[in-house]
Amino acid sequence: MLELRNLSKSYNGRPVLQQLSWTFQAGEFVAIMGDSGVGKSTLLNLIAGLDTPDAAPGESPIVIDDIAMSSLDDDAATRLRRSRMGFIFQAFHVLPHLTLLQNVALPLLLNGMPTTRAAEMLEAVGLGGRGHDFPHQLSGGQLQRVAIARALVHRPALVLADEPTGNLDPDTADSILALLQREIKATGACAILVTHSQVAANMTDKILHLSKKGIQETTIVNPFKQ
Amino acid sequence: MSHPMPKRPPRDWTVLTLMALLAVLIVASFATLPLKWKDFFTIEAVSSMLELLGGFAPPEMSSGFLGKTAWATVETLAMSGVGTLLAVIFGLAFSLPASGRFGAAPRALTRAMLNVLRSIPELVWASIMLIAAGLGPFGGTLALAAHTAGVLGRLFADSLENAAPLPEQSLRTNGASAAAAFFYATLPQTLPQMLSYTLYRWENNIRAAAILGVVGAGGLGQMLKYHLSLFQMQMAATVIIAMLLLVALVDGASFALRRLLTR
Repeated sequence: MLELRNLSKSYNGRPVLQQLSWTFQAGEFVAIMGDSGVGKSTLLNLIAGLDTPDAAPGESPIVIDDIAMSSLDDDAATRLRRSRMGFIFQAFHVLPHLTLLQNVALPLLLNGMPTTRAAEMLEAVGLGGRGHDFPHQLSGGQLQRVAIARALVHRPALVLADEPTGNLDPDTADSILALLQREIKATGACAILVTHSQVAANMTDKILHLSKKGIQETTIVNPFKQ
Repeated sequence: MSHPMPKRPPRDWTVLTLMALLAVLIVASFATLPLKWKDFFTIEAVSSMLELLGGFAPPEMSSGFLGKTAWATVETLAMSGVGTLLAVIFGLAFSLPASGRFGAAPRALTRAMLNVLRSIPELVWASIMLIAAGLGPFGGTLALAAHTAGVLGRLFADSLENAAPLPEQSLRTNGASAAAAFFYATLPQTLPQMLSYTLYRWENNIRAAAILGVVGAGGLGQMLKYHLSLFQMQMAATVIIAMLLLVALVDGASFALRRLLTR
């Protein structure tokens, strides 16, 4: 589904990511952990096409469903993000002047799809019947539920989540992660979760550690994982 | 254990020096102007002033003249309305490059142009437009539009620059085009402020439209100038009352609308 081939990125000559290679399968829920500054968010930005990797002409360090990101211009990368990807941010990024239903329906509108699924997604994240409320009427946990519904409503093949529970208390974080896990499995998307939280990482299928040495899968076994 | 207080900061003489300079300038202004305060308050001056004011009463209330005044009022209102509408359209168009959306060079260039537009007062614009478009409300409308486009363009650009960037960024990340992200995220954030600025400028333009008539731009101002120059004070009084009523009406409506928008 997503393939990294010797992916490198440096800023002003300072290497952040060096020669990363990994293959992510469809339907996989993967956590990426690592120290601050090791390049976790940079990796997400590169996968999303928001930043360009260091690559020689002809090289394809990021391939999504057989499409080399390096072969896409800005408009094509935007179209790919719009149709194939969903994003969940730590700070929710829900539009304050739109109702919950309008927020969730946005990816459908942008993709020219019917908006009926927006209400279904709100229902699925436990906010059915609140579609006409505005974001300021919601708690942080509820806002992140809206963000999850928005990220998954157009059935993206790849979901990128950057510290989605970083602003939430532990109980709310647990319920949000359980919801994310359930919805990702229901849609069959590949999801990459960047997190500092071991508890959050333990809810995924696979934990990858990013360090200066590269990506390594950990062998931590979570006895509480269902 | 006691901690020593931090040292008192040294006295800043800049403000005191500036205030002293300002005081000197004010005194010098009064001293150099040939103001004849004594002549202004003589019995003769006061009585001729009262005589002049007495000439305004009673205002002309014949139906024919009231109809003419009503038409001029509509003309003034239309001039200010259309002038403001044109200014909103051009101001919005200029505000996009002026807010730095297309880079630093277009930003600097558009801001310089907006500075020129708003630095020239409406009366000067009216004189220029009257030469180009001839006497009447059209020239006045263009004059109002030119000056107000400069003001609104700058205010709209500042609003766009000050809008929270995250909503637009997040939409761009989610694959929205630049235009869609602007219309869904940034414009709705700034719209109430832009409407408030527009209503306030419309309020100003009503007053300006009345004055522009004096230089031949039609409406109530032109009527006022005509009747005052013929010493038809009672007719001039009716025009002045119409001006006051119009300004009060628009001020009230604009205030109510702005309060509604910023609630």
